Amino acid sequence: MRRLYLFSALCLTAIGVTSAQTREFTDAQKSFWSFQPVKKPAVPGVKNKDWTKNPIDAFVMAKLEEKQIEPNKPADKRTLLRRATLDMTGLPPTDKEVDAFLADNSPNAFEKVVDRLLASPAYGERWGRHWLDVARYADSDGFKADATRPNIWRYRDYVIQAFNEDKPYNRFIREQIAGDELYPGDHDAMVAMGFNRHWIDETNAAGLLTRRQETLDEITTATGSAFLGVTIGCARCHDHKYDPIPQRDYYRLQAFFANTSYGDGALPVKDRVERQKYETQKALWEEKTKDTRAEMATMLEPLRAQRIKGGISTFEDEVVEAILMDPAKRNPFQQMMFHTASSRITFDEEPDARTLRSLKGDAATHYGELKKKLAEFDSIRPAAPPEGQFMIDISTTAPPTHVLGRGDIMNKGEEVQPGFLSILTAADAKITAPAGLNSTGRRTALAEWLTDPKNPLVARVMVNRMWHYHFGRGIVASPGDFGRMGMRPTHPELLDYLASTFVENGWSFKKLHKQILLSNTYQVSSDNQAKAAEADPDNKLMWHYNRRRIEAEAIRDSMLYVSGFLNPEMGGPGVMPPVPPGTLSDLSATAVAGGWKADTDAAKQNRRSVYIFVRRNLLYPMMHEFDTANTFEVWHQRKNTVTPSQSLDLMNNETILNWAQALAGRVLSDGRVASESLEQVDRAFRLVYGRRPAAEEQKVSAAFLGKQIPIMASRLANGKAKPAMPTQIPAGMEPARAAALVDLCHMLLASNEFLYIN
Amino acid sequence: MLNKLKHHSRVTTRREFFAHAGSGLAAMALADLLAQDAFAQRVDPLAAKKPHVTPKAKNVIFCFMEGGPSHVDLFDPKPELAKYAGQPVPPSMRPEKFITGFGTHRNGLMPTKHTFKQYGQSGLWFSDWLPHMAQLADDWAMVRSCQSDAVNHVGGVCQMNTGDILAGRPSLGAWATYGLGSANRNLPTFVVMQDDKEILGGVQNYSAGFLPAVYQGSLFRKGDTPILNLKPPDGTTDEQQRSKLEYLKQLNDRFSLGKDEDFELDARTRSYELAYQMQSAAPEAVDLSKETEATKKLYGIDEPETAAYGNLCLLARRLVERGVRFVEIYSGSGSRWDAHSDLEKNHTQNCRSADKPVAGLLADLKARGMLQDTLVVWGGEFGRTPFFQGTFDEKAGRDHNQWGFTMLMAGGGVKGGQAIGATDELGLKAIEEPHHIHDLHASILYLMGLDHLKTTYMRLGRAERPTVAGGHLITKLWA
Repeated sequence: MRRLYLFSALCLTAIGVTSAQTREFTDAQKSFWSFQPVKKPAVPGVKNKDWTKNPIDAFVMAKLEEKQIEPNKPADKRTLLRRATLDMTGLPPTDKEVDAFLADNSPNAFEKVVDRLLASPAYGERWGRHWLDVARYADSDGFKADATRPNIWRYRDYVIQAFNEDKPYNRFIREQIAGDELYPGDHDAMVAMGFNRHWIDETNAAGLLTRRQETLDEITTATGSAFLGVTIGCARCHDHKYDPIPQRDYYRLQAFFANTSYGDGALPVKDRVERQKYETQKALWEEKTKDTRAEMATMLEPLRAQRIKGGISTFEDEVVEAILMDPAKRNPFQQMMFHTASSRITFDEEPDARTLRSLKGDAATHYGELKKKLAEFDSIRPAAPPEGQFMIDISTTAPPTHVLGRGDIMNKGEEVQPGFLSILTAADAKITAPAGLNSTGRRTALAEWLTDPKNPLVARVMVNRMWHYHFGRGIVASPGDFGRMGMRPTHPELLDYLASTFVENGWSFKKLHKQILLSNTYQVSSDNQAKAAEADPDNKLMWHYNRRRIEAEAIRDSMLYVSGFLNPEMGGPGVMPPVPPGTLSDLSATAVAGGWKADTDAAKQNRRSVYIFVRRNLLYPMMHEFDTANTFEVWHQRKNTVTPSQSLDLMNNETILNWAQALAGRVLSDGRVASESLEQVDRAFRLVYGRRPAAEEQKVSAAFLGKQIPIMASRLANGKAKPAMPTQIPAGMEPARAAALVDLCHMLLASNEFLYIN
Repeated sequence: MLNKLKHHSRVTTRREFFAHAGSGLAAMALADLLAQDAFAQRVDPLAAKKPHVTPKAKNVIFCFMEGGPSHVDLFDPKPELAKYAGQPVPPSMRPEKFITGFGTHRNGLMPTKHTFKQYGQSGLWFSDWLPHMAQLADDWAMVRSCQSDAVNHVGGVCQMNTGDILAGRPSLGAWATYGLGSANRNLPTFVVMQDDKEILGGVQNYSAGFLPAVYQGSLFRKGDTPILNLKPPDGTTDEQQRSKLEYLKQLNDRFSLGKDEDFELDARTRSYELAYQMQSAAPEAVDLSKETEATKKLYGIDEPETAAYGNLCLLARRLVERGVRFVEIYSGSGSRWDAHSDLEKNHTQNCRSADKPVAGLLADLKARGMLQDTLVVWGGEFGRTPFFQGTFDEKAGRDHNQWGFTMLMAGGGVKGGQAIGATDELGLKAIEEPHHIHDLHASILYLMGLDHLKTTYMRLGRAERPTVAGGHLITKLWA
């Protein structure tokens, strides 16, 4: 019932449980474009052969010639370098990189740049973040408590590393869907299982049946959306209104996950020798402390009973029954309920402090003594291996999955087995339980199907996502909907060409990027052209490059970068840079769960934005202002808004002013420019825009400094709050002049040229 | 011109929409969306838009009593409870899925300790806990048969704001802003204020959800800088800032040379002018120093018990005066109305803190001729159970009741002095004219001039609307 409303926007017609028979699809449904096999098309012949640098261009030019549109001239080298650098790394090029590229007249000068960018660790941070949008990544649960997920950051690092290593997409999928079953004992594959650990969760929900079903619904919808680009969530309550997805298919897909739950805990130790050492040491410690721990456990027995009693009060009757019954007699469904409830009714070694307070008097004293005794063995206790947060099967037998009438857990219909989209594969999945594992093998079957080169959706959806990020618009302009209500591909042959070469090239992202970047299509200017605009105002045929604002992360990172502050350290738990005064009143009960404890260490504050802690109920304000991903669902496309609050942020946020101070300091650190305003402006432009100012810009900049200097002088003379000064000032420089330069740098950072990829 | 405009915009064209719209309802929804002109939407998303029906209310002030006020002790007298006192709810009267937040559904029924009386010409019932609001009985319409899907607060507050108990959908205020645009660009169009701790669920309650962020609510902070980053860095003079913005405009104008077709660049340049204006308009709007002592007294600002919420009520009036469309003011934010134990103490305090300010707001709006186009809504995320929680004595509380509760509305075209719908004889479940939260939302939007079925936004192939898949107008409210 709870989730019903969210997904029932299409509940406009018949509602009810679909009949058990496989649905007949119409010819129109069967022949719908995205369900057809990918066929590698022949590269079309074109008249303008000089323009076509690679097959991508031939597909684009063929369409342009049909409409008699001339593509734009190539962007100038400086613009192209800036475009590619922002696109591939989320950072602007340095002035040295600009100079080097301008000076390189070799025919493969740009190819060298592309190779350099692909090899940069910043590439993974940029493109990994794109995938994190799809994975609905967050460091917290959501809901009221919004508790921290202390180890989920390893998934973020895994994604960044996967892009940097050019992990093949098929392997990337297999690890995220069934890494535990396919690569048992593999540290990274287990971390990858964090993909479907990102559901929003109400850990203290009153009803457990509903909470469990909501989790399954979230996973089903996200999996369909992320990998298949279909809006399968629409088939939760009834057959999909527009696409050939019977309600039954929704539950068939859900059945792959029927036996999954959170499996947070120790990760496989990467190194075999290390693992061996750890196991030996742990056994030793356990042996030495056996009696003490047993005695402590006995003392805690009554507390365990108390915790169960307190935990179950709001649960449904059948959940309570499952919890209280003989564990050996639990069926898979009852096991699942027990597992789902476990964090609220049991504890591992020791309960929380509140429960522990029930030990009183002598018992409390004695327990304290035992704890001390146990601590004596700390020296031989091995450090716990790193923990992760991930999803696993909890046993070898899954509870049954039913089609739910109107998506309501109380309204069980036909039982279904794991299966795929029946328009593509009608038969149920063949499941083989993996030998020696406590798992059903269901997700292995799903992973195999998703990564089968014959799957018509998976490669198409992914290459289209990549195209979307490169160009600001996908070949299919709705990257999250390849169904009837989505957009049709503007270049279906190109899409298929890219999808098939992607698979041929071992599902390599880096090869795909290179193919795209080296095309002329990528390199044309973003200028307007009256005639072309008349014929193709939306630029569907790609006669120009799409100018667009860079994303929230790229804005912040670029500012940090040109100011010289950016800390390139990679990985680790999320950081919390300070937030503007007043922000914390946006926090709800999250304060209970850790809230936002700003890092005081400046180096930590200046990490790349992908490492900023993602608290669902309090997104870092600058990210939020500039349309970062919504963490509550698969986020296919960033929005691109223009708001006064963004302007207020750029004008008044003290943090950005601090970066401007550092930028001004960087300008002045170059001894050659110390004394000359003109030279200072010149260097500031080079650092921020990667180019020198035009004469007109020099003029307005000089005039601006001329206006600011007396204002600053008077503020320095009598103001209580002194103006912001550059982080370094050469000896003898007039302070008012130095302060004026901060204002200039501040406005360069806020300007459109800095904020747009052109 | 249109073609030029479209160039560089990532908005899809009319043609493209229609080519794939299919048939039936979705196509109609698309047509409606397009009627609002997707291009104008993008270049100037807050431009005033044409309402679907003649608006009765220009503004809404939603007085949100967070935690769930007890309808059976305030508006919905149930003398029968005395008869059943101490007995559990008879099986025949139990709602389907009888789950409560604290597992109290087997507890005995508890009659109210408060005296109900009829007030005004209309004879609407109020208990002695709300003496000031009762005096305006003929202005209030009570919907006594409201229903929610939420067992607990986060889901409940979220649904009262967004229509869904799971976070992620746009708030009602965001939909109203999306549908109608802004009436004062120097202030946010949707403002949220709280009198105490943070609202449970936080920002998700006033977020724009899947709508563009420009429609999200602004949580006003206490003090003279209600908006994040509103104040320039310390010591910045106006002259200094204006000169900076002029330089920025010169830089931006130069970048725009030869890019006339790119309206987004212009929009960004213009948004600095708005931001600059906002710096002075927002502090002015929240500055109560120009209000007379009599006005402040009317709102109870002179008394410590009523000062906090009185302030919010007066601020709300000042904001709607200045064209803010949707103001939400939380009483007992952080769930202070949540009387699981000692209902007596809890509601005595909460009623005391909100009753006079709300009555003052209504009276003030009326005196200024603003009540006719300002809709005031009063209520929480759900009501409370007719059975007790805790101990069955003077310290007893009541649990959450989503099956039936009361919401109040006044002004903005609402016909006062009427009670709509009814709960069963226990006050547990709405049985006459039950109205889901979606109905409240549909009706509020209707009063503002929006048809909830036409207020749609395309997301992943679905025409999303504020009422998700439900919503029936409560026509009695104005008919």
